[in-house]
Amino acid sequence: MASVQQLKSRIRSVNSTKQITKAMQLVAASKMRRSTAAVKETADYATAARELLADLAHDRDTITSHPMFQNRPIKRRLLIAISSDTGLAGAYNANVLKGLVTELKSDNEHHIHTDTLTLGRKVSQFASRLKEVKVIGSYEKLPDQPTGLEIKAILNEAIDRFVGLECDAVDLIFTRFHSPINQEVVVERLLPAGLASQSDYEQVSSEIRESRFEPSRDEVLDAVTERLIETQIVQALLDSRASEHSMRMMAMKNATDNASSLSSDLTLAMNKERQAAITQELAEISAGSEAVQ
Amino acid sequence: MATQPSLQLQLVTLLGQRMDESVYEVILPTTIGEISVFPGHEPLVSLAKPGVIAVRRQKTDPDTALEYFATSGGIIEIDPERVRVLVDEADHGDDIIEAESQKALERALKMRDNAADQVELEKASQLIDRHQTRLKVAGLRRHQTKTRFK
Repeated sequence: MASVQQLKSRIRSVNSTKQITKAMQLVAASKMRRSTAAVKETADYATAARELLADLAHDRDTITSHPMFQNRPIKRRLLIAISSDTGLAGAYNANVLKGLVTELKSDNEHHIHTDTLTLGRKVSQFASRLKEVKVIGSYEKLPDQPTGLEIKAILNEAIDRFVGLECDAVDLIFTRFHSPINQEVVVERLLPAGLASQSDYEQVSSEIRESRFEPSRDEVLDAVTERLIETQIVQALLDSRASEHSMRMMAMKNATDNASSLSSDLTLAMNKERQAAITQELAEISAGSEAVQ
Repeated sequence: MATQPSLQLQLVTLLGQRMDESVYEVILPTTIGEISVFPGHEPLVSLAKPGVIAVRRQKTDPDTALEYFATSGGIIEIDPERVRVLVDEADHGDDIIEAESQKALERALKMRDNAADQVELEKASQLIDRHQTRLKVAGLRRHQTKTRFK
C-alpha cells in the first residue's frame, strides 16, 4: 500500500489534470456551439447547390461540353482529406485516417493511382509517412470560419488537375456532422461535378432534363460550377470543424469524469491509510503504557 | 374550379433559407435584364446579378403589395412549378434601415477613394454595389408605404 504522502501527491496531480480537461471541455463546448450554428446556417445553401449541380449534370449537353462535368474512366484520383491540427479529440482523427486507408486500399485493388491533398496537421503527418502515397499539398491551421481565400487555393488545385487530365476524379474525405453525438466519415465526389454520391443521384429526377440557359450554357456553367463546388468544400470544412469540436468536448468530458472518480477513489484510499496509521499509533501508545504499569 | 397553378419560390442564402413559399410572380434581376416568372415557365438556368427581387404572392395583389429583397449575385434555376434562387445574401425590404445603409454606402465610397491596392478597390466596389441595392429596396419600400396610406 502506498503511503499517505504518495497518495496525496497522486491526488494533487489527478486534480490538476482534471482542471485542464475541464477547461478544454468548456472551450470545446463553446467552439462547438459556434461551429454547429455555422453548419446549420449554410446547410440549406449547400444542399441546394448540390441538387443544382446534380440537375445540371443530368443535362446531356452539359456532360459532353463542359470540362468540369466530364465523366471519364477513373485511372488517377485525387483525395482531399480533412482532419484537425490538434489531437485529444477522441476518435475524430483516427476515424478520418481509417477512412483514408480504406479508400487507398480499394484504389490499390482497382489499380487506381491516388494523390492526396491534406487539410489539417494530423492527416498531413499520417499521409507523409505512407510510402506509396503522393501528397501533392497540405494545408494547416485553417481558420474555424473559412473564407474564400483559403478555399480558393485548394479549389484551384483540384480543378486544374481535373481539367488538365491529371486526375479523373476528385473526392473529399471528411466527417459529416449530424448531431453533437453522431458524426460519420463520408467520401463525397467533387469532380466530375454533380455526382456527389449515389443517393444524390437517385434523389433528383432521374430523367434527362432539357433546360434553357441564359445568357448561354457556357457562360452559366463557367460562372456557376466553380462556385457550387467551392460551397461543397466550405460545407465539408464546417462539418469537420463542428464534428471535431463535438468529439473533443465528449472526450474531455469523459476524461474529466474519469479524473473525478479516480480522485475520489484515491481520497478514500488515503483516508483509510491515514486512519490505519492513527489506529496503529494509538495501539502502540496503549501497549507502551501497559508495559510501564 | 380548377386549382390555380402556383410557383414555389425558394430563396436560399448562405445564412439559410429566406423563403420557401408558393407565390404568383417573381421578378428577378439577371445578367441580361430583368425577367418576370409566372407559374408554368419553361425550364431555365440563368445568372442573377446584384439587384432587387420582387415577389407578388397573389394574382390580385397590387404593386403596392409587392415584397422586395435586396440580393447579391447568384444562380437562378426555374422549373414550371418552382423557382430556386441561390444567392450569397438576401435582405427583406422590411429589415433594411435606410439611414444605416446610407452611412454604410458613404463609408464604402470613401474606402474606394482611399483604396491602396486592387484587392481593396474590389472589396469597396462590392460593398458599394451591395449598399446601393439595399438603398434601392429601402426606397421602394418607403414609396410603397407612402402610397398605401394616402
